[in-house]
Parts: sequence; structure tokens; C-alpha cells
Amino acid sequence: KFRMPTAENLVPIRLDIDIDGQRFKDAFTWNPSDPDSEVSNFAKRTVKDLKLPPAFVTQISQSIQTQLAEFHSFEGQDMHIKEKIVPLKIDLRVNNTVIRDQFLWDVSNLESDPEEFARTFCQDMDIGDPEVGPAIAVSIREQLYEIATQSVSSAREARVGKKGRRGSDIVANSKAGNTVDLGKLFGSKGSVIRKRKEWYLYEPIVDILSNEEVGALDAREELNAR
Amino acid sequence: MPPSSEGSDLADRELYSIPASSSWFRWDEIHETERQSLPEFFDGSAASRNPRVYKEYRDFIISKYREDPSKHIAFTEVRKSLIGDIGYLHKVFRCLEKWGLINFGAKASLAVPSSEEDVGPKVVVEEGAPTGVQVVPACIPQRKRVRSGTSAGGGENGFKLPPLTSYTDVFGDWAPKGGPVCGVCGQQSASGGSESLERGLAICSKCSKDKSQADCNTSENLKPEADDSTNHTTTAWTDAETLLLLEAVLKHGDDWDLISQHVRTKDKLDCIARLIQLPFGEHLLSSMNGTFAGSSLINQSADVKNELPQEPMKADGHIEADEKDALEESIEEKPPKRRCFPSFVHAADSLIKQVACLSTVAGPQVAAAAAEAGVTALCSENPSARNAFYINEDPKNGLTYASHDANSCLKTEEQDIEFDKETDTSEHVPLKRFGSTAFQVRAAMGTALGAAAARAKLLADQEEREMELLLASIVEAQLRKIQYKIKHFEELELMMEKEYALLEKAKESILEEWIMLLENTFKAGIPRWRDTPLPKPFFNTSTI
Repeated sequence: KFRMPTAENLVPIRLDIDIDGQRFKDAFTWNPSDPDSEVSNFAKRTVKDLKLPPAFVTQISQSIQTQLAEFHSFEGQDMHIKEKIVPLKIDLRVNNTVIRDQFLWDVSNLESDPEEFARTFCQDMDIGDPEVGPAIAVSIREQLYEIATQSVSSAREARVGKKGRRGSDIVANSKAGNTVDLGKLFGSKGSVIRKRKEWYLYEPIVDILSNEEVGALDAREELNAR
Repeated sequence: MPPSSEGSDLADRELYSIPASSSWFRWDEIHETERQSLPEFFDGSAASRNPRVYKEYRDFIISKYREDPSKHIAFTEVRKSLIGDIGYLHKVFRCLEKWGLINFGAKASLAVPSSEEDVGPKVVVEEGAPTGVQVVPACIPQRKRVRSGTSAGGGENGFKLPPLTSYTDVFGDWAPKGGPVCGVCGQQSASGGSESLERGLAICSKCSKDKSQADCNTSENLKPEADDSTNHTTTAWTDAETLLLLEAVLKHGDDWDLISQHVRTKDKLDCIARLIQLPFGEHLLSSMNGTFAGSSLINQSADVKNELPQEPMKADGHIEADEKDALEESIEEKPPKRRCFPSFVHAADSLIKQVACLSTVAGPQVAAAAAEAGVTALCSENPSARNAFYINEDPKNGLTYASHDANSCLKTEEQDIEFDKETDTSEHVPLKRFGSTAFQVRAAMGTALGAAAARAKLLADQEEREMELLLASIVEAQLRKIQYKIKHFEELELMMEKEYALLEKAKESILEEWIMLLENTFKAGIPRWRDTPLPKPFFNTSTI
């Protein structure tokens, strides 16, 4: 049955609302089993804490509920949990911190925990800003969500049978990138140690920007949005 | 490179230490422990996880760590070199770390407890506080917390045996009038000097000027009353600031910007943290959300606090007080039955709490003065409230008698349920007599506050008794101190006497020797030494 392929069934929500020139962007995880009343409470609370104009309350509620409805629409359907290792990418900027990273994730690992990954990441990379961790976790969840929804729609198509040990499930048009060829690497002749010259590709890059650079980037983003 | 647990090694091999509990580890094999901890690799559930893969991960991670055993290796360093699901890789890494096969004895980076995120908001907010909690030899932050009446604490400080301290040592430094002592130059920074608390020390204006100005950039640095508030170090909260904070919370409720403006010297996060720290802070917040009308009623409630003691203690007044107590008791303990005054009950709770809060913050004199003023105000407002009670007493003599009993129960500070039952009917009937509900509300409010005042008085008596007890114990401690001193001196005396006795004996023995010497010389026929003078000390005592 369809669910987020993580230990906790939490849905990533992204908000990007523009009212009268005032823009509100946010991203967080939501528990889909929460009652609907929680959505309006959250919206009111947010508007109050951030002192936004009251028009945002309805917009925020609607946006959240739309995304939740979309999630719920998948819920009744079957999901085929095939072993599939995909590369996930992180490419985001949170306040002054820029993170770029990529790593492999097994979509069939239902015990996976994006939040724990984010925690370890911030701890190992010594990141001070507490908003970075949740942003990473949300980004991972979004990518996983997309992969999961694709697997639901592709399950309706004819399933490609496993071709012996070389059963790499190459789903056509997988936006998440090429899946890893399981047979070659994990079979008897392969090695799971990456070649040294490729290590740098999978190493995380963390940059701290100065305030001017942040201001410049923000301005550019605003221009693009208009 | 073979592993070697604590003892066995050969000269040309390097020694690594792992905990003895992990001595099962072998490079060439996979042990049962590993199979059980990481079943995903051994149950054939996936093509990407098999024993060979596990062994490669394990060997790579351990070798990578052993390139530099003194350095703590982070997961992020190794995962870039390994192919596979990052979740499972992390699990392998954690297991190895748990068994001590890696990062054993390496200087660990901050061992972050896994529950950090649960305590998240509090940890973030209190970032500044640890600097203020540092152990400082001069104990200066302690002094800031010292309020009036800690003579008990002073007495304890003096009650140390080996260096017998004197009164001035203990009480001399603690001058309630002086400002806090500067941690750097040891001088008292008087009211004129601006203080800044850096790393827990109060520094007078001179010393702080010497330090780098970059730290104290805010303009508030020059205000004589203000504490410095830099970005991350929060200064201690003075009474004045706390009072401002509480006022602001009562006025503005949840609006932290306005509150931080009101308390000029503290920013939003500090205010929130401080409020949470205060014992009743969260109550305040929740009660503010519930009853916003409370703010206007606070003044009145504080005023009415001492209504009860102020009333003339006539017989009628006494009984009236009983009824009020009874009313208040039953109202508070049976809220579902009081359909007439649902809002009153709620307001009463928060009122009393708020009253209690304010009275703890603003000293007792302020509360008493406010209470007095309010009493007169309320009394003049509703003279007929008391009349209403008076009226109803006469036909209810039987019940008032019962409530008299109930009041004695109150005096012994027991809240019985039968107490309620006795007065249950009494409170229904008198109130039905009044036409207007507003009147009822007022009367009942006065009652409740009167009862609160009574209880406050009892508490105050209790406190006094405790104070007396503490004072007695202090006096006892001092007495004991003196007794020890006396004993000490007595022992010294004894010792001196003994030494004196010994000295006397020594003198005598020397005398005897001298005598013997002389006898021997006489026997030997040597003439008396008239010429040689006798030693001086023996002039007086010798009998030769």
C-alpha cells in the first residue's frame, strides 16, 4: 500500500505564496494522519507569529490541504517496493549556508530516516544554523515522494520481469536519475568500494555565504519569480 | 594488519585498542554478533546486501579509521567512498562505533545526545546562559541572586571548622547597599558604573572600557541601569527587569515584540526563556490566552486581598467570614455545579494565580498597599454586598452554625468534602435572593478574594514560624561555633600546662645533675671553685 518509504510516514509540504507583493516561502514535513483542524491552527499560528497579513491564513491552509489531498489520493493504491538504489541530490541554500551533496538511497528501505541523515550531516559538517537540517530532510522527502508516486503509476504498466542477476530496475524516465546497477556492483565480481577518483563527486560541499552574497541571491530570485 | 586487543602485539605491528567486549572481532570472518545486529545483510532479502558487501564496508571503514586512530572519524567522511544505500551504511557505521571497533578513545566531537531535538527550542534559547553559569572563583553571580534575608546562607558559610571565621568575614562583604563587586578589579561598581556580564563576571565600567569595545557595541552599554546585552551572552535578570517582563506579559499577552520593547534590555528569546524559567511563567501564558479580561481585574483583586482582616471582627463579621469561606470553598471545588458563574470560576482561578504572581514579584509592602487601596475602593463600591449576606444569616442560623464548624475545619487547614455538604445549601439560597446577576458576581468575587486573603494570612503565619525556626537554628549554629572555640582554647591551655610541667621537671633534673657533679668533684678532692661564678639561673634557686 502506498506510503512514504521512510520509517515515519511524513509528507513534505512546500509553501510559496505571494499576496500583494509579499512573499512567504516555507517547507516542512507534515503528518498526514493529523486531523484537518490542525491545518487551520497551523496557518493561524504561522500568520500570527510572523505577523503576516491575515489574507495568508486561507492561502496557507488551502495550499497545505491541496498537497495533502494529493497524497491521500495515492494512498489507496498499491505500491511495489522493489529494491532500487537511486542517487539523491541536495542542492539548496538556507539563509547563509549553501549545501550541495549527492548520495545513494535505497527506496525499498522502509526504515530509512531522512531526519536522522540530516542530523548526522549537520553534526559531521559542523553546521550551526538549525534551519539547515530540516531543509535537508524535506528535500530528501520530496525526492522520495516523487519516486514513490512514480512507482505507483508505473505499477500499473506491465512489470518488467527480473532478468536473472542483472535485474536492475530501470524505470523509464526516472527523473531521479539512473538507478544503480545492482548486479554489477553487488554481484560476485564487483566491489562496493568506490574508485578513489570518484570520491569527490559524492562528497558534500558546504559553503557559508556573506550577507552581501545572500542579499544578491535573494534579489535575483525575486526577479526570476516575477 | 591484524587486530590486537589490549595485550598481545608483535614489535613490527601497530597496536590498536578496542574494548575487551569486542574481542570476538576477526578480520577474516564475520562473527555471529555482526550477523545478529545487521540481519539485513545476511537474510538474502536484497541483492545489494550480502555478506561480502558487508565485509567490504566493515573493512573499509575500520581501515579508514585506523589511518589515524586518534582522530574521530565521521560518517560523512566514509560514506562518499562506499556504494550502497546510505541508511544501511549508516547502520553499519553506528554498529562499528557502538562496539568500539572505530572511534574508540578518539577525541570525540561533541557527543550529542539523541534526544537533543526534543529539547530543541530550549537548548537554542538558552545558548547564552551557559556563559553565565560558569564556575567563577569569586562567586560573584551568586551574590546577584542573593535577596534579602539570606542570613542563613551566611551562617552556613561561616560554619567551617578548620579556619574559624569571624563574623566580619562572613557578613562584612555582603553589603546590601553596595552594588555587585567587579570581578576584575575587586571594587564595588556603584550605581554610576555600567556593568556588563561577560563570562559570568560583573565588570565595572572602568574595566569594561579596557576590554575590547567590539564586544559591547550596543548603545545600552552606557545606560547606568541596564545590563549589557550582546548577541549571545545574556546577562542575569534583575528584579526590575523581571517585573517589567511580567507587566509586559500581562499587558501584551503573546506579543513578544512588544514585550521585548517593554523590557528594553532583553530581546525576544531571552524574554521567552526567562518566562518559562519562572515557576508560574507558563501558567501566566496559558491564562493570558484564556481570560484576557484578567488584566483589568488584577488591580481590583490585588486590592481586595486584605479585605477580610480589615473588617471589624464582630461576631457578625466573623460568621460572615465563615460564610464567605464556605462559599468560596464550594465554588472552587464544585465548578460543574456553578452554572450561574462559569466565567467567574475561571476568572477567579486565573485572578488568584495572577495575584499570587504579582505579590511574589512586587515586594510585600507593595502588595499590602495595593490591597489596602483596593479594599476601600471595592467596599465603597458595594456596601450592599455585605448587607445581602447579613440579611440571609438570620433565617439561616442553623446553617451558619454549621458553617461555623466548617470554618474551624478551615482553620486547621483541612478541606473536607463534608465541609462542602454542610454549606452546600447555604450558598444556593442566599444567592437566589439577589435579583441582578452582576450583583451576585461582585458579591461572590468579594467572597472568593476574602477567602484567599484568609488563606494568605495563614500562610504568612506559617512563614513567620518557619523564619523563627531558621533563626533559632542559626543561633544554635553560632553557639556551637563558640563552643568549639572554647574547647579549642581549653585544649591549648592543657597543652601549655603540660609543657610547663615538663619544663619544670627538666629544670629540676638539670639541678640534680649539677649537684651530683659538685659532689663528685668534692669527693675527688678538687677545691671548691670559689672563683668560678655559678650559672645565673641558679642564683635564686640553688641551695649549695
